[in-house]
Amino acid sequence: MRSFSRFSMAIAVCGISFASAVAQCPARPQPGTVLQDTLSLNSQNGALNAAFTLAHSVDSNGYTHYCYKYNSSGQVIEAPTLRLNPGDHLLLHVTDAITTPGPQSASSMDMTSPPGTVACGDGGTATINSTNVHFHGLNIPPTCHQDDVLTTLIQPGTSGFQFDTQIPLAEPPGLYWYHPHVHGFTEFQVNGGAAGALIVNGMEKYRPEVVGLTERVFVVRQQFLVPWVPGPYQLTVNFETAGSIQGPAPIIQMKPGEKQFWRVANATLQSFMPLQIWFDSVPQPMQLVALDGYPLAQSRTTDTILIPPAGRAEFIVQAPTSTSQSADFMVLNYNTGPTGNADIEQPLATIQLVNTASAPAASPVAAAAAPASQSNLKFSGLASATVTATRSLYFSEEFGGTNGPIQFYITVDGQKQKVFEPNEKPAITTNVGAVEDWTIENHALETHAFHIHQIHFMMLEVNGKAVANQDFRDTIEIPYWTGKGPYPSVKVRMDFRDPTTAGTFVFHCHILLHEDLGMMHKIQVLP
Amino acid sequence: MRMSLTGWLLRSSALLLWVYISNGFGLAGGTPQYVLTNDDVPPFFTSGVTFFTVGAGGALTLKEQVSTEASGTGGGFFATSRLAVLDSASAQCVYASNAGAGDIVGIDISTLQIGGTASGSSTDTGISNGIGLVMNPQYLYASFTDVNTIGTFQVQPGCSLTFVNDVSVGGLQGGFITSMAINGSTLVATYGDGSIESFNISSGTPVSNGDKQNSTAYLSSQGATYPNGIDITKDGHYVIFGDTSTDSVVEISDISGGKLSPTVSYTTGHTINSSNVMLSPDETLLYISDSQGDRISAAFFDASTGTLSGKGCASGRLKNYDTDWTYTASLGLASTTGTGSVLYVAEFGNTSSIAMVQVSSSGGKCTLTEMAKSPVTDTYSSWLLSITTFPPRPF
Repeated sequence: MRSFSRFSMAIAVCGISFASAVAQCPARPQPGTVLQDTLSLNSQNGALNAAFTLAHSVDSNGYTHYCYKYNSSGQVIEAPTLRLNPGDHLLLHVTDAITTPGPQSASSMDMTSPPGTVACGDGGTATINSTNVHFHGLNIPPTCHQDDVLTTLIQPGTSGFQFDTQIPLAEPPGLYWYHPHVHGFTEFQVNGGAAGALIVNGMEKYRPEVVGLTERVFVVRQQFLVPWVPGPYQLTVNFETAGSIQGPAPIIQMKPGEKQFWRVANATLQSFMPLQIWFDSVPQPMQLVALDGYPLAQSRTTDTILIPPAGRAEFIVQAPTSTSQSADFMVLNYNTGPTGNADIEQPLATIQLVNTASAPAASPVAAAAAPASQSNLKFSGLASATVTATRSLYFSEEFGGTNGPIQFYITVDGQKQKVFEPNEKPAITTNVGAVEDWTIENHALETHAFHIHQIHFMMLEVNGKAVANQDFRDTIEIPYWTGKGPYPSVKVRMDFRDPTTAGTFVFHCHILLHEDLGMMHKIQVLP
Repeated sequence: MRMSLTGWLLRSSALLLWVYISNGFGLAGGTPQYVLTNDDVPPFFTSGVTFFTVGAGGALTLKEQVSTEASGTGGGFFATSRLAVLDSASAQCVYASNAGAGDIVGIDISTLQIGGTASGSSTDTGISNGIGLVMNPQYLYASFTDVNTIGTFQVQPGCSLTFVNDVSVGGLQGGFITSMAINGSTLVATYGDGSIESFNISSGTPVSNGDKQNSTAYLSSQGATYPNGIDITKDGHYVIFGDTSTDSVVEISDISGGKLSPTVSYTTGHTINSSNVMLSPDETLLYISDSQGDRISAAFFDASTGTLSGKGCASGRLKNYDTDWTYTASLGLASTTGTGSVLYVAEFGNTSSIAMVQVSSSGGKCTLTEMAKSPVTDTYSSWLLSITTFPPRPF
């Protein structure tokens, strides 16, 4: 039933959107133009203070835009990159200026919290016009004004809401991102582009390979005309439409043979992105230095980097030396299973060789004052920590028909399958100090992307076999089950030793439709 | 390579004669045996009913598509049967719903001509998930899945219908009607919220028997399983529900007392979603379509006790799964006696098709084997969910 009402709502949104195209959002780049990095807002004197307004409009092609607007000296910038140092304070004021008229604004989600829970922000009922912000990957407390998505609501027409959090001193340097996370409506706003990069500075201290390289930040987004209706989608890179038969790819300018440090966020709704660099259609080596904002213990060379929805990858790319070679930044086909959506191959960008004078202005990564040890970072020592509990979870789906109702479940083994409800009790309760090994299986015929808020987890096994690299991740793909044989699985180590993990937060599939429809549950970490 | 018409006729005649004599697949009269599809395609396309003739050993040959001159919706509920067949002494018709247009088209099976088109009330629609059909010789019942009504239509000569009225229905939790089945004066419905209900149709319009209830599996799974497809035993004693689930759940209710009794739940173990079920003509096997997966299965059924028993059997992975098609849906049988001999399975996908699965059963064991020439492509639809057979199973 829920799918049906959302399907109806999607139709209504589509219709109303066309009828109410108010240009609240900035114009986005023209296809086929030189790709620009988004404006960076840097912390100063230990703090980054910024104000965003979330607005809404519809472009001439019918795509709905949800935009974080930042006023920079009279110029409106969309979704700036936030840059902070460990220990800095982030003071982000968010105002909701969505003014969507029509029936969809009446569609609501019961955000009723359990008794004793205090609402955060404006309170009220969550609708498609409500918003909040999740700082994806940041290891910060799940509390009001920091990174709470369960009770925080920002409503249109109010004075807004102030996020106030401190980047932990031991926060891993790397690429994070921010996006709305109102249960039931996340996909609409992220589909409209409401997402931006957040960088914790200091990668060069842990991965000196990046010292002196030109840094580029690419946020890949995805837009459907109506996100709940299967159909063609567009990928964009920094809001510029990726290459397809409809239009040319964005252009990334590099000097011949130049190495650059690319920081790529998968801010799509559902696309699993195997990335490659092609010279004359031949995959080239890339030097991977970080995943999900966590520096690798050692950089490694690969020709394909898979980023699940919400994941990030940071890697070094070297341009071709000759203009006779074509060079492309590609995303490949990815099979998400019989009931999954097709993720198709396309060029995210074309690499264009330029001379020094015409190279894009981008900040080279500063040289490190002194290398730092990864033992300084959060979750260090986790591999040898004593495991206090083990758990098994699984993804599953049931389809009443091809158009729904579809139920998406993530279930703790032994519990009943049920979709998330905001007022539910936590599916998992643990304590600060716990170290837990979780095995997460996929019983569905569709690939899922597991994500947990507040912490990174350490990869242990894939399909029962120890991984070669115990990377720290916050989002991981679990391939689809074929219908027979063992269920695909990952085994990960969860670290609740840090007292700042105390509180209640969520774990879910980061295919946003699935999360919105309830493939999510709460975990409570008791102090 | 296409065959000439003369050659086709000669070979078809010979085949039919041979079938009639040796295999029991054919009909004694002049009307061929058919497998029918509702090519319920989305708006901007024109839907139709495709007729496949049933040949030797259950083999299918495309005869033609009869356009229903309106649009469908392209997909929807697995267990909403979008076709109903009338095989009475006076008429042989197939009725097909057009979910996009909201109407029902009757086709004369002997002439393959449209007899008439009928619509429900101005608000009756099933554009999101389809319009389900069941019928007896007097009335056709249409479930308008978007608005939760059952429309009653009186059967008229020439395969036409007259709209009588509609009644509002709905699940205990507000669920939408997903499937219907009828037997005698009883109509049974499922709702997408775990509840089931029966109706008395002895006076035409459905009147609830006052037995709306949540199914046992729905309650025990806390909502993760709910009845979807329905079949009723020949004597009308038991109602069998195929459940939408992440497992393979079948529920059975005794309705001999005039109301649905609490269901008894079975987990058959062969599939991961059992939304479509169908009894064999001799009621010894219950066929289960793995709606969310790649195979079909069968469970042994005892019609005298209304129970499932034994391990049953399952086919292997049906051909072209995950390349051409993704879901299995409704079922049909080549024979109106015994086990049905050959099971037809609607395969929904980019290239929709009909799988043909040979059934074998003896000594408490069964096998389901996909035939060499399976599947047969339904070239007129990429959204095939509903098939049926003519003549229909006798109950």
